[in-house]
Amino acid sequence: MTDVPAERIRNFSIIAHIDHGKSTLADRLLQTTGTVDVRQMKEQFLDNMDLERERGITIKLQAARMNYTAKDGQQYVLNLIDTPGHVDFSYEVSRSLAACEGALLVVDASQGVEAQTLANVYLALDNNLEIIPVLNKIDLPGAEPERVVGEIEEIIGLDCSGAILASAKEGIGIDEILETIVERVPPPQDTVGEPLRALIFDSYYDSYRGVIVYFRVMDGTVKKGDRIRLMASRKEFDIDELGVLSPTQKQVNELHAGEVGYLAAAIKAVTDARVGDTITLATKPATTALPGYTEAKPMVFCGMFPIDADQFEDLRDALEKLKLNDAALQYEPETSSAMGFGFRCGFLGLLHMEIVQERLEREYNLDLIITAPSVVYQVTTVKGEVLYVDNPSRLPSPNEREKIEEPYVQVDMITPEAYVGTLMELCQNRRGVFKDMKYLAQGRTTVTYELPLAEVVTDFFDQMKSRSRGYASMEYHLIGYRENPLVRLDIQINSDPVDSLAMIVHRDKAYNMGRAMAEKLKELIPRHQFKVPIQATIGSKVIASEQIPALRKDVLAKCYGGDISRKKKLLQKQAKGKKRMKSVGTVDVPQEAFMAVLRLDQQS
Amino acid sequence: MENHLNQAQKAIHLGIPRSAYVHIPFCRRRCYYCDFPVSIVGDNNRGDTSGTISQYVQLLCREIAITPASKQLLKTIFFGGGTPSLLSINQLTQILKALDQQFGISEDAEISMEIDPGTFDLNQIQSYRAAGVKRVSLGVQAFQPELLQVCGRSHTVEDIWKSVEMIQSVGIPDFSLDLISGLPHQSIEQWQESLDAIIAIAPTHISIYDLTIEPVTAFGRYYQPGVQPLPTDDATAQMYCQARQVLTAAGYQHYEISNYAKPGHQCQHNRVYWENRPYYGFGMGATSYVQGQRFTRPRKTKEYYQWVQDFITAGGVLDFPQTPPDEVLLETLMLGLRLQEGVSLSFLAQLFGKETLKQIWTCLQPYYRQGWVEIVTIDSQSVVWCDLQQVPLQGRIRLTDPQGFLFSNVVLAALFSHLAEVG
Repeated sequence: MTDVPAERIRNFSIIAHIDHGKSTLADRLLQTTGTVDVRQMKEQFLDNMDLERERGITIKLQAARMNYTAKDGQQYVLNLIDTPGHVDFSYEVSRSLAACEGALLVVDASQGVEAQTLANVYLALDNNLEIIPVLNKIDLPGAEPERVVGEIEEIIGLDCSGAILASAKEGIGIDEILETIVERVPPPQDTVGEPLRALIFDSYYDSYRGVIVYFRVMDGTVKKGDRIRLMASRKEFDIDELGVLSPTQKQVNELHAGEVGYLAAAIKAVTDARVGDTITLATKPATTALPGYTEAKPMVFCGMFPIDADQFEDLRDALEKLKLNDAALQYEPETSSAMGFGFRCGFLGLLHMEIVQERLEREYNLDLIITAPSVVYQVTTVKGEVLYVDNPSRLPSPNEREKIEEPYVQVDMITPEAYVGTLMELCQNRRGVFKDMKYLAQGRTTVTYELPLAEVVTDFFDQMKSRSRGYASMEYHLIGYRENPLVRLDIQINSDPVDSLAMIVHRDKAYNMGRAMAEKLKELIPRHQFKVPIQATIGSKVIASEQIPALRKDVLAKCYGGDISRKKKLLQKQAKGKKRMKSVGTVDVPQEAFMAVLRLDQQS
Repeated sequence: MENHLNQAQKAIHLGIPRSAYVHIPFCRRRCYYCDFPVSIVGDNNRGDTSGTISQYVQLLCREIAITPASKQLLKTIFFGGGTPSLLSINQLTQILKALDQQFGISEDAEISMEIDPGTFDLNQIQSYRAAGVKRVSLGVQAFQPELLQVCGRSHTVEDIWKSVEMIQSVGIPDFSLDLISGLPHQSIEQWQESLDAIIAIAPTHISIYDLTIEPVTAFGRYYQPGVQPLPTDDATAQMYCQARQVLTAAGYQHYEISNYAKPGHQCQHNRVYWENRPYYGFGMGATSYVQGQRFTRPRKTKEYYQWVQDFITAGGVLDFPQTPPDEVLLETLMLGLRLQEGVSLSFLAQLFGKETLKQIWTCLQPYYRQGWVEIVTIDSQSVVWCDLQQVPLQGRIRLTDPQGFLFSNVVLAALFSHLAEVG
């Protein structure tokens, strides 16, 4: 690695909506600068989790250092800092933007600006980044660059005269993008003389080297062997390994202000080196940390229980391991009368929850029952105490509580005009408060609502997508707590109350929810040899009841020579299905039933 | 489990088959509930006049001739279909000859044949008898014209009575009738009427099948189990019990979940399946269980023809995996518990080991307490009360009739789940 002066470094990230071609563009930049040769190129180099590639989204961010010789004949170092593309991870996005001086705003020329892009652009503007608009997929027949430029100018108020027309897939406009980065993105400030301050924008756990920290040096210099201090966690470590990402890790001896790199220092868990924390030298510490550090707080909670009680310890081990790599994941043991021993887990959002669940099932081979997601309620008791309740079954009884407050979010949606009606109806059904609506260019509209988070963490996103045939996009952020008349809805299966199915709902919706839940459970729970009554209750009052009729027979009529293999498979399937059920009293309840609330027809 | 694949088990599992199943896939039309491998020849094509059937019989005989044989004579032969009664007497003789040449047929062999009303005349049935057929199974299904129509059967109620008369006049020693319960629009009264009719005919053997809706059939497209116009589960469970009551009162033994027989008239061929013994299989879609290989032939005409060619090229060697011991155990239980007498405990212990027997007992205890499973003496004559703490080693374990039979899948699924875990 040559020592590059700060004026020839450019640090930038890419802001784009899912599917607008961020990963393809990143791949193309790596290829064009010769950072990765064509042979080693697997598609979408920066997305290195299976799950990411399957869903076409970026969850964990990555970084890459590229060498680029510009038209002025000078050699530049371009550091691409990737950002995760989902609302659950907006804090990470803000930290990686803080590590840059510029950003490419990539918009699909046939689609236009989406809500998530907008939110990230505002984050970039807050961080004083130079923003370079890039209209991607210009080769598609449906591309309308003028319309989209108009939209960017109108919505964001960004000057688009210098917008680059590109097609990452076809390699159009790539040179222009690289050249523009050099020209327009300001170089980092040369503050090599100051005490070390480096911003952590990502970290992950490696079982051999401990936590690998990705950082941007803001001031000063860091060397291999230095004793560093993390200013928020107050922990100190000796650097074993220091390097850059090109995009694979390559060791160097020293990094100075403006550069991006990684380090390993036998750090045991990512909680010790959280995103947003400031690295300084133990021997010559900086006086103040870099601004913007917060601990990402879980917003969504659920119970996770092993189907097989013997897997409890395995689940604990697996969560411990995931936690090493995921500072935002929270968990604590929970005991449920219906489900036995498990954990109450907290997540940044629904996607985060899904990712953790999938990893537990795929990588750790656990069979889990996941209860419906809940939010944190703020409950004031009659004695004036304030409790935070993330588990509906722990809600104090009505006579013990003064009031319940629930978290609210502001939801911004961008949608084609045609779907405004149906999306407003959705928000209205979910107790939304209308705030604002703006018509943008070409029949596109922004709609803003304030909604209880509890209504958003169920199936709001899926509903929004299906109602708008996939065209609408959304973004949300927490705006505070509000008091509402909320009640606890309990479910009894075969007269046993099932605490894991309890939920906190608005009084006015309780009746419909109870009825819909009872109907759904009747559909999901298989017949037993006895009748199984299902009841929804509030306190001691039954508000809905259903009954699953008794199973009268379950028998294979014919089983001759040619039937044996097939019938055996049928029975094996039945045996497997039974194993994926949880016994509640004498009733076997399938996994899906605990998520039933997410699949209710809320219109009924 | 591997260790338990002992001599006794090998003797049964890998022994030489004494039974042969021959598939005759031809039918005049396809019944709406049927997902068997059949080949439709229409109403006017049969026997020697049908090129398709002749060609098939040739091929079938070549398959028989290339199959490795031993000196053990066949004790049972079953012509199933399809509609085997579409075969001419020459064709039937040809096949029997091929079997006799290759394997030899025991003097007293049970030779069974499925026949359908309206597909044969008196002369034909006499010739079948003369050729050695000892047992016929007549596919009646229902005694109501409207129900026959609902099923897409190609015969009338009148055809049934004529067929019965012919069979009885020829004096075939074993005579079985099939009925289906749970048909669309079928009422409890109609079911009773069919049972009354069958009692009046007094065949030596009766099969009662609760309708199974198979996905790739006309029924599968039109109907959902338990939903109108299909009778409810309550109604079909009642039909099952009704049949059992009427038929046992008339002197039939309920010897298998769906089968009844006068003493001494159980179907020996089908018992081979339920006892999980080996058998040959010939013809399109037919399954064989030889040397531990349970193999099903292609279900489509063209593919079956190709397979026979390949089989001949391979010199009659079948390259197919053997059923592993843990699966043999599951099959033994799944099949054996269909029989009224259940499975012998000492036999299980001998074949699969005492530890396995203990696991089976542990798993079945709740069902024992529930009255779905019971232990009887080895001659099945009396029920034995057992101590739950102690694994019974003598006698037989069986499902109770009718409750255990009606919920047999529940019991079997539990066994499958439990044994897969410990295995």
